[in-house]
Amino acid sequence: MDAAAEVRQENGFAGESGATKMQERLQKRHQARTEDAERRKEAKESQSVAEEKGEYFSSTFNRERLCIEELLSGCSGADRATVTQRLEEATAKTVRLQKFLNDSVLFLTQYELRQAQAALQKLQTSLAETREEALPKKKFAFRARTKAADKASAPVSDPAPPDVASATPTGAAEVDGAAASEQCGFSNMDNEFLTKTSEEIQKRDVLLTHLSNCKVRLLGSPSTLHLKHIDSCEILCGPVSSSVFVDHCRNSTLSFPCQQLRTHNTTDTQVYLHVTSRAIIEDCHGVSFAPLSWSYPTLEEDFSVSGLDRDRNNWSQVDDFNWLAAGTPSPNWTIIPESERKTNWDP
Amino acid sequence: MGLLTILKKMKQKEREMRLLMLGLDNAGKTTILKKFNGEDVSTISPTLGFNIKTLEHRGFKLNIWDVGGQKSLRSYWRNYFESTDGLVWVVDSADRLRLEDCRQELSALLLEERLAGATLLVFANKQDLPGALSKEAIREALALDEIKSHHWCIIGCSAVTGENLLAGVDWLLDDIAARIFTAD
Ligand SMILES: Nc1nc2c(ncn2[C@@H]2O[C@H](COP(=O)(O)OP(=O)(O)OP(=O)(O)O)[C@@H](O)[C@H]2O)c(=O)[nH]1
Ligand SMILES: [Mg+2]
Repeated sequence: MDAAAEVRQENGFAGESGATKMQERLQKRHQARTEDAERRKEAKESQSVAEEKGEYFSSTFNRERLCIEELLSGCSGADRATVTQRLEEATAKTVRLQKFLNDSVLFLTQYELRQAQAALQKLQTSLAETREEALPKKKFAFRARTKAADKASAPVSDPAPPDVASATPTGAAEVDGAAASEQCGFSNMDNEFLTKTSEEIQKRDVLLTHLSNCKVRLLGSPSTLHLKHIDSCEILCGPVSSSVFVDHCRNSTLSFPCQQLRTHNTTDTQVYLHVTSRAIIEDCHGVSFAPLSWSYPTLEEDFSVSGLDRDRNNWSQVDDFNWLAAGTPSPNWTIIPESERKTNWDP
Repeated sequence: MGLLTILKKMKQKEREMRLLMLGLDNAGKTTILKKFNGEDVSTISPTLGFNIKTLEHRGFKLNIWDVGGQKSLRSYWRNYFESTDGLVWVVDSADRLRLEDCRQELSALLLEERLAGATLLVFANKQDLPGALSKEAIREALALDEIKSHHWCIIGCSAVTGENLLAGVDWLLDDIAARIFTAD
């Protein structure tokens, strides 16, 4: 209870009254900023304290700038290693120069500032140009593959010819393709008993989709577990080191230890849970919770692999993101009465 | 109070930045925020509403807003746009199934007038997972190269190991500082 209160302290509530208050605060802040700017302007106009610093600034700034320019001009014709080293040094110096300028802002006149900023901009541009010229970027692998076919006839820097463009999958599509091949899990099954061992799922992202009337046992510690489109299943999984996602699940029984549980679009489902932070539901109803109550031989081992705290279980603290009224409990979830809890987990 | 003291005071006030961290649910936003602040990341719950943290970093005062990314909360994102200096878009690099969703949400954000001046940092998070896509693959999937309206940068990171979080924030600060503390 204490821990929960503490977590909440810094949290704000995103509702309307919160928004109004924030609007006020932002307004105030904006005003304060404008006033400060005014005051600073006055101070600048009426003083000469900073003159000395201004001189120090411009001599240092110009010296550094010359040094960077020299580094860059020395790049043309040099070998790759030299260029790389010179560019690195020039980059570091430019960043430092920008910092120096930022730190000196207060003492500079508007004119000096603009001059310095413009000079820096120029430096950055020629830095980028020199880099592009001397060390052209390797093109990203996904694209390189689709281009490989016409590499022989076209120079590398040419844009992809239009006919290829229509056939080229978008980045997202490529990525999805990769996802399909690498994804660990089960999909499109009905009435099966499905298991995975520790070696198969350890530290992996596991996905179960479109399962109905299945019993699933995942005996190990994955990093994330996704359950999507699940109907009338019983799914048990070992300690999940980060989050479990449940989406479009109905009439099922689920059980696992995890750090976070994020439940969406789910109805009439029982969750036997060990969660070290909190569970949330969004667009759900008829979801009920009880503490984890099954075990398997290597559970303890998998707990330590997952890094989850064995002694911290907040299974009964559920946040309903569609029920933001403080005080009244959400009608969308309940606690399973002790007498009704499942005790026999034999498959 | 001498003039320099006054100037220093004002300078401090001025070196304040507002960063808005958004992304799909489960991307790792809150984990990034807490890790960056050196807090325990093992007890983080899905965010119902938002978290704010004020941090000092490199002499800047950072107000970081971390807003929940669950579907039902996304319509509230716009309540947080005002005065944003930097937008941090967090991506779960292992979540291949929702990359398209992720691309759409980001491109809608970039059309927002109130975010027009903000610098964009994309964190390709969860690089510690064996199944994570590289930052180049994320860059392609989110079509980042088509963004002409904002300064942007993508950095691969892990909120769990802390890898590259600092590098990302430093880039963001430098870019913002170059804009707002030098031009006016
Ligand atoms: N392996 C790994 N897991 C991560 C990383 N970052 C976050 N996670 C895990 O991902 C899950 C979600 O992290 P959160 O920080 O709650 O995600 P969020 O973006 O704040 O989610 P919302 O609050 O719902 O918007 C947690 O279980 C984290 O432990 C990472 O870099 N690597
Ligand atoms: Mg969060």
